[in-house]
Amino acid sequence: MLQEIQSIIEEILDIDGNTVTPETYVIRDLDAESIDLLELAVALNSNFDVKIIDEDIFLRSLRIYVTEARENGEDVIKFLLGRYPFITEERAAEILDDMENSPVLKVKDLISYIEWRKSF
Amino acid sequence: MSNRAVITSFGIISSLGCDESEILDSFINKRTSFKKSEYDESVSVSPVNNFALKDYTGQFKERRYLTRGVSFALASSISAFKRSGLKECDLAESGLLVGTGPNLDITSDFRDVADGVPDMANLNALWILKYLPNTAASSIAKYLKIHGENITVGTACAASLQAIGEGYRKVRDGYCDIVFAGGGDSRISPGGILSYKMANALNTATEVPDLSSMPFDLNRKGFVPGEGGAFVVIESLEHAEKRNAEIIAEISGFGSSMDGHAMTDPDPAGVKGELAVRKALAEASLDPGDIDFISAHGTGTAMNDSMESGIIKRVYGNSSPAIGAFKSWIGHCASACGAMELVLSLICMKNDFFPEIRNLSSPVDNDLNFLLNGGSHSFGKIALENFGFGGQNCSLVIKKYDKK
Repeated sequence: MLQEIQSIIEEILDIDGNTVTPETYVIRDLDAESIDLLELAVALNSNFDVKIIDEDIFLRSLRIYVTEARENGEDVIKFLLGRYPFITEERAAEILDDMENSPVLKVKDLISYIEWRKSF
Repeated sequence: MSNRAVITSFGIISSLGCDESEILDSFINKRTSFKKSEYDESVSVSPVNNFALKDYTGQFKERRYLTRGVSFALASSISAFKRSGLKECDLAESGLLVGTGPNLDITSDFRDVADGVPDMANLNALWILKYLPNTAASSIAKYLKIHGENITVGTACAASLQAIGEGYRKVRDGYCDIVFAGGGDSRISPGGILSYKMANALNTATEVPDLSSMPFDLNRKGFVPGEGGAFVVIESLEHAEKRNAEIIAEISGFGSSMDGHAMTDPDPAGVKGELAVRKALAEASLDPGDIDFISAHGTGTAMNDSMESGIIKRVYGNSSPAIGAFKSWIGHCASACGAMELVLSLICMKNDFFPEIRNLSSPVDNDLNFLLNGGSHSFGKIALENFGFGGQNCSLVIKKYDKK
């Protein structure tokens, strides 16, 4: 899976795919812009034959969800797991710690999303 | 306000080579790239071999949206920039005029269409960019950081010469100090060949690829698709002198017109084509007798060459300047042909070496001075002609720079 994602990213962003690891930040490290994410979604869909919802896979509404959970006095991690069922509790906690330096999206989130979609 | 407009740099990607010495060497050693099309054996093509856009751009993710033709445009604009000695900060207000044609390489995006439903496997999300006429301009602007006045010209095979002519006027009339103008195109894809073959425009009769492009020959049977790209940097003389730029030539006149006759063929009488040529000469304040060399459109189609030789005879009389036809060397590069033929003319003018028209043994008109012997020729004033589907006509006059 990582290898396929590396080659997709290599193709779209014109970089050496071997430098991409699960811990690579998609936006922070790779400078992916919105049109690159658009291409990424189409390529992931076509390569893995799974439905890709941009909103979810790229954690687009992350900040809104966190704010919403806090405002409603809910447990933020549980709230996030409800919205993003493909991430683990551990990853949700990591994301919360990392949010100061947003955007937090990592290659491993893409992998989790696709694995989760494939399990249907 | 009227400025003198001079050419201070050029870049070219062609089947003859990608720099001045390589191209000159190809002319001298008569090296061309004509071969049978892999897609259709009845057709010959003139490809650019060993081209990789990344060699010019380095990492540039927008490459994914660039057709082969647009890639030639971008690569040649980068070459022109590097050769110019200009710095990136000089380009912010530069003008950018690009001649482009349609993307006919349709099968690379749509390999299969079943019952009207296209196979989407190869599509980018933004595949539309490969079909938008201004993608060449937007990629060049992004890469070179050019932000000034801009026009994308889509006038078929007259497009890139017309872009250069309009760019010259932007400098002459004071709208820009610097203009990048040119184009890039490729029609050797299956879609490109199919379209012109169905329009009966290609030579499908000549067995030997190297003999198939024969402009102005009585036995001509159609054009041979080619590919490539070329850009020139046009500057006001004042701007060029201020930065001690090399002045390669001066552009002194441009003219354009439309036949309003047919959707593809030119008006056989060439009345409006002649008007474009005469306008360019008048704008250059030159008499026909002042011109030393004509870079003819010379496609090798029955229609173009008889129409064009008629124009040349009427404008220049029987003592015509030497007539060259670069399409006999590089094939027909569609919307890019004008920019490429201009850069080839500049290289020839700089080196006082002009090549013969290849494969011309029975000229359409024995009164005209077709250049049959390539070699040392010093031609200081050149008129270029290009004509396109739909009756697009244009002509550009350049001359060796003379300080006076």
